Amino acid sequence: MKNTRTVNLEKNKDSYSLKFNAMASPCEVIIQTSDEELAVKLGKLVSAEVWRIEDKYSRYDQNSLCSAINNNAGQSVVIDDETFQLLSFADQCYQLSDGLFDITSGVLRKVWSFQSQYNSKTNFPSAAQINTTLLNVGWNKINFDPKQITLAKGMEIDFGGIGKEYAVDRGIIVAKELTNQPVLVNLGGDLAVTGARLNNETWQVAIEPPDIDSDLVNGHEKTIDMIVSLKSGALATSGDSKRFLIHKGKRYGHILNAKTGWPISKAPRSITVVAPQCIQAGILATFALLQGCDAEEFLTNQEIKFWARR
Amino acid sequence: MKSKIDKINIKSALTVATVALLGTSSLAQAESSSTSSVQDSSWEFDSAFLFYSEVDRVSAGEAILNAKKTFDNDEVLNLKLTIDTLTGASANGAVAQPTVQTFTRPSGNGQYDIAAGDTPLDDTFHDTRVQLNGQWTQPLAPDYTVSGGFHLSKEYDYLSLGINGNIAVDFDRKNSTFSAGFSYFQDTFTPEGGIPNPLTSMLIGNSDASTWDDSFAQTRIGSEDDKTTTDILLGFTQVINRRMLMQFNYSYSMVDGYLTDPFKILSVVNNTGKTQDYLYESRPDSRVKQSVFAQSLYHFDSSVLDVSYRYMWDDWEITSHTIDSRFRIPLGDGFGKESYIQPHLRIYQQSAADFYRPFITDDEALPAFASADYRIGEMTAITVGFKYGMLVNNGHELSFRLEYYRQTPTNAGFDEPGVLNDVELYPTVDAIIGQVTYSF
Repeated sequence: MKNTRTVNLEKNKDSYSLKFNAMASPCEVIIQTSDEELAVKLGKLVSAEVWRIEDKYSRYDQNSLCSAINNNAGQSVVIDDETFQLLSFADQCYQLSDGLFDITSGVLRKVWSFQSQYNSKTNFPSAAQINTTLLNVGWNKINFDPKQITLAKGMEIDFGGIGKEYAVDRGIIVAKELTNQPVLVNLGGDLAVTGARLNNETWQVAIEPPDIDSDLVNGHEKTIDMIVSLKSGALATSGDSKRFLIHKGKRYGHILNAKTGWPISKAPRSITVVAPQCIQAGILATFALLQGCDAEEFLTNQEIKFWARR
Repeated sequence: MKSKIDKINIKSALTVATVALLGTSSLAQAESSSTSSVQDSSWEFDSAFLFYSEVDRVSAGEAILNAKKTFDNDEVLNLKLTIDTLTGASANGAVAQPTVQTFTRPSGNGQYDIAAGDTPLDDTFHDTRVQLNGQWTQPLAPDYTVSGGFHLSKEYDYLSLGINGNIAVDFDRKNSTFSAGFSYFQDTFTPEGGIPNPLTSMLIGNSDASTWDDSFAQTRIGSEDDKTTTDILLGFTQVINRRMLMQFNYSYSMVDGYLTDPFKILSVVNNTGKTQDYLYESRPDSRVKQSVFAQSLYHFDSSVLDVSYRYMWDDWEITSHTIDSRFRIPLGDGFGKESYIQPHLRIYQQSAADFYRPFITDDEALPAFASADYRIGEMTAITVGFKYGMLVNNGHELSFRLEYYRQTPTNAGFDEPGVLNDVELYPTVDAIIGQVTYSF
């Protein structure tokens, strides 16, 4: 069931906000301008691009290219240049993470069902269930080139780990093609800016504390707000505040180790990373979480600007 | 789950991959900084300089430096240094006369004359005071915050040491807060000239005479004395709605010890109002004060109104009412970055202590306690002023405050015999207050 695809315009003191829903997230484009016509045009342009990417790469959409690839596992499926670039990027991520990040690990969702504020049913799988499912996981089993992709039977690919961040970056590109005014594109907390605000001022971004929806863990309600001042580049947050599982009193985040099929243990509750592009920030945040207890050390060694909450 | 990732430079490899995906037009640096009470634990400073000047009377200058540091987990350390100096003249409690009057300085070293018709003022007050406060605040458990601190104040003839503790509990998603606090002070007073024998005559004569020192010493009962103060404060704060906040307090204060002002006297007059003698004042050795306080803050679209009322009563029969209001009006960036102006109006009214009297008549028996200090007499006071603030240098706040303060003592029902009808028994005290603050 698709949400209605409308873009709502809101006027602020010195900017316009264009709000819409996409990729199961509230999305917002902010442009610092007094030109309402320009703002409306920008809203249409960016939302169209985001919905285009959603329609193409969402595994929930039966008409998407992603579903076509998944439903034809075992056969060769024709792909375009954009898809080839995305798959190449996913391939790089697989190599750089030594196999921990793997877009074929989506099938594991069939045995793990994570709690969210909408679904309190938990499904804690057995080791046997996980091992059986792991047989269908493994990027090394994929065959792709600039023209086609072939999955082994039973396998699936899931662009969930990079899709939203890619859409943010594409949103910035189309915004820059339209206007020189300062723009911020925010898709559910993953965001990027075209540059500094007018008068070389910074964009102020508030980072939600991890426990905002839950009072389960330790009863500690973090009320500290963190404000990041962003002048250029992007910011992505990876974490378990929205999807998680409680089993025998222990909390499991939804990021799975693609090699073992289990959630990563001792990972920070949330990591926010700043990088020149959103897709880079998102991957770095995910890579860090995959390191579990070594997450902060990983990011520090890479000299990446980040904030971690445990 | 160690991996060999840390050996490779992930960041650059990813940059290359990203450029391939998005194209070189999207290459940019990421510039950012963060402010957070979790990450950022640098010091925040507030500095202020205050100037207070009563027309023809006391002037005071005060400098304050406050340093605050927030640590991880919401722990806050607050240190404050205050230095003030006081000069000028203060009423000594005697009534004006149509003739010149002579008084002895509190130290006993010398006399001073007051012109006919003038309110007697003692101008020997020069003192510098240094005060240090430290306060530590931290969460104890979710929704519980505790705080504890110390106070130290020293001037030439006075030492005050104090401690305080406080606990605050939040509930209803922090829309309500209940707090309970106590404080305890131990003060020691070593006035120059020692402690005078209460309700005995002030010795007037020649301080240079060889017999003076002995005679003066006879009017003293000690060189120092002390007092303790115990305060309890209960408070309740409630967020009413998105625009409004209210606070209610109850306080109970007990002071025990030397509460008399050793520098103040009363005139003893005859039935024609002429002064016959001066007696050192005497106050009870304990005082219990209670007060209730209510405050409301209302946020209009951009301006904020703050109105409060306090009612105080004590066992000296003093009752007082205070209405205080401030209205903050943002001025945008036209008059300075994010500037605002805040007019202020405060109205105060108090009734006299039961042992207050402007003078003693020589045909009555000496009361147990008596004081002519107008500050515990009947009076109204009004403060009118404004504060102007703006941001400078990267978001530091600079503000200026200017206020006019008028204290009007009034007659609490005492007859004015003879010549006292022709002099001003209840002079008005006007003062100007100026303050500059800078936060960085």
